[in-house]
Amino acid sequence: MPIHEKSLIRPENLKTHEQLVVDGVDVSGHWSTFIQSRVVTDYNEALQEEIAALPGGEYIHRCWQCGSCTNACTVNAVNPDFNPRYWIYLVRVGMESELLRDKDIIWQCVSCNKCTYACPRDVAPEGVMKALSHWLELKGHTRKSPSMIFDEVFTDQVIERGRIEEGRIIQQFFRRTGQALGQDWLIEMGRRLLRRLPLGLLMRLGLAGVHAPRTRGWARSRAALREYVAQEQSRQRRALGLEDLIEGARRDAAGITHG
Amino acid sequence: MSKPILVVGGGPSGLAAAHALSSVGQRVVLIEKAERLGGAPILSGYAKLVPSGEWAKDAIGGMVHRVQEDRQVEVHLSSTVKSFSGAPGEFNVELADGKRLQAAAAILCTGFTHFDSLNKPEWGFGTFPDVVTTAQVEQMISSGKGVRCPSDGRKPQRVAILLCVGSRDRQIGREWCSKICCTVSANIAMEIREELPECHVYVYYMDIRTFGLYETKYYWRSQEEFKVKYIKARIAEVTSDGEKLIVKGEDTLVKRPITIPFDMVVHAIGMDPNIENKTIAAVFGVALESHGYLARGNAYANTAETSRPGVFVAGAATGPETIDDSIAQGHAAAARALALTRPAQASA
Repeated sequence: MPIHEKSLIRPENLKTHEQLVVDGVDVSGHWSTFIQSRVVTDYNEALQEEIAALPGGEYIHRCWQCGSCTNACTVNAVNPDFNPRYWIYLVRVGMESELLRDKDIIWQCVSCNKCTYACPRDVAPEGVMKALSHWLELKGHTRKSPSMIFDEVFTDQVIERGRIEEGRIIQQFFRRTGQALGQDWLIEMGRRLLRRLPLGLLMRLGLAGVHAPRTRGWARSRAALREYVAQEQSRQRRALGLEDLIEGARRDAAGITHG
Repeated sequence: MSKPILVVGGGPSGLAAAHALSSVGQRVVLIEKAERLGGAPILSGYAKLVPSGEWAKDAIGGMVHRVQEDRQVEVHLSSTVKSFSGAPGEFNVELADGKRLQAAAAILCTGFTHFDSLNKPEWGFGTFPDVVTTAQVEQMISSGKGVRCPSDGRKPQRVAILLCVGSRDRQIGREWCSKICCTVSANIAMEIREELPECHVYVYYMDIRTFGLYETKYYWRSQEEFKVKYIKARIAEVTSDGEKLIVKGEDTLVKRPITIPFDMVVHAIGMDPNIENKTIAAVFGVALESHGYLARGNAYANTAETSRPGVFVAGAATGPETIDDSIAQGHAAAARALALTRPAQASA
């Protein structure tokens, strides 16, 4: 399968004038293929280090662009725009704006790991794809999707209580995504449950909603998990240069002037 | 006493041949055009050699010292051969200063000439002071002064190394791969990263030919440990905006034109045939091959032979060659020359 390359002539780069009158002559429309500047004028040298600082991205600097990952890729077979080799290259040389053009498809990796086994340099491209998605998220390039919020609600509850309670997860998920709890399917499920009257289950669900059970002796595990997550998040933010931004915002908010 | 063997050229292969011959009791006359022995590694001030990592002044310097101390090797510096005639076993040699001697055989270890980057004016050498050659960077390192921009002595923050300067280029009549520049460039890139960790190094390549075991030791290691970046592009031109050097080309892997600022641009210069090869060929009556190097005989049956019986050849005189292989070829040529002067004795 040939490796997909992007054409330089992109619709948004074509110079078009809806309405252009020059010296009284109407010359509106397309004029051949005049295109906007397309020259790369500098590299962002921080980019590779940022990706390498995130879990999975550690070996990105090994890549020598053979294309084994893209050739092996499950998603590429369906969508030729999905090209791990190309993104790894953009990161390696620091073409950030080019990378961001693909922010809506980068996260589509299905983690089949065929690339991991094909890669002759052990770049672990699947890990790089994870790091890329993570980077897009941390840098605020991707909108927080309901599925990401679901993952957060789920993880928060595991860390907080050492177990999950479906009822609470659904409640919080709907609240945090601004969706009504009174979903048709949920009402229907409740109605059917009532009809069959599985009393034990209903009581457990109800109790769980009020009582919020925990795993016994979880406090120490929770503290350790929280500490690790906080450390890791802080390290990643620092690697991406986000910690300074947050610090700056905090100091500005506190009215401390710089210098 | 048998006649001496003439060794022409005092670089790695000539030093190796002279030492090999002397070590089995053969007298040698060593002719060197320059004022001192050592060849390119010493005369051009190389730093750490590939692949040993030893400093050239120690490694090749050691070979020079060994030959200088050797009473069986008669060294003529600043000297060239003016005429060469006769037959194997009894060649008549006249040096440029008129001195005459006889030799049983000759080994040509006349080496190569560094490509002169002025022949690729579009890459800015000679126009912008901060465009330098790999040989110059070697000198910056071996002198202990470190890698600095020649224009103002500042530490470069971004260096571009352009491969295949004077190699694989039909435009300038150089259709060969100079074999060792990829590896040397990877080595230099690592040296720069080691001395100046803040400096980013980019290598612009058409192919990377770090052959054999150099693959991991130089290419992979430079990427994995030293984070040297490799970009597949043949640079179109090097210009300047008055402050920085501007490197223009096409990044072929993403099909995008690039116009990138650099502090220093390094030409990975190739190995030309010795600029005096035509004279050498005429004086010694040996043939040149199509690229202009000394033609070599069949490798299996006639190791180290030229087109003239009794005249042998070793090292980069026959084409781009590594130092290690030049030394090995010097030994091989010594064995062939020796066999000629001492025919096999009938077994008792």
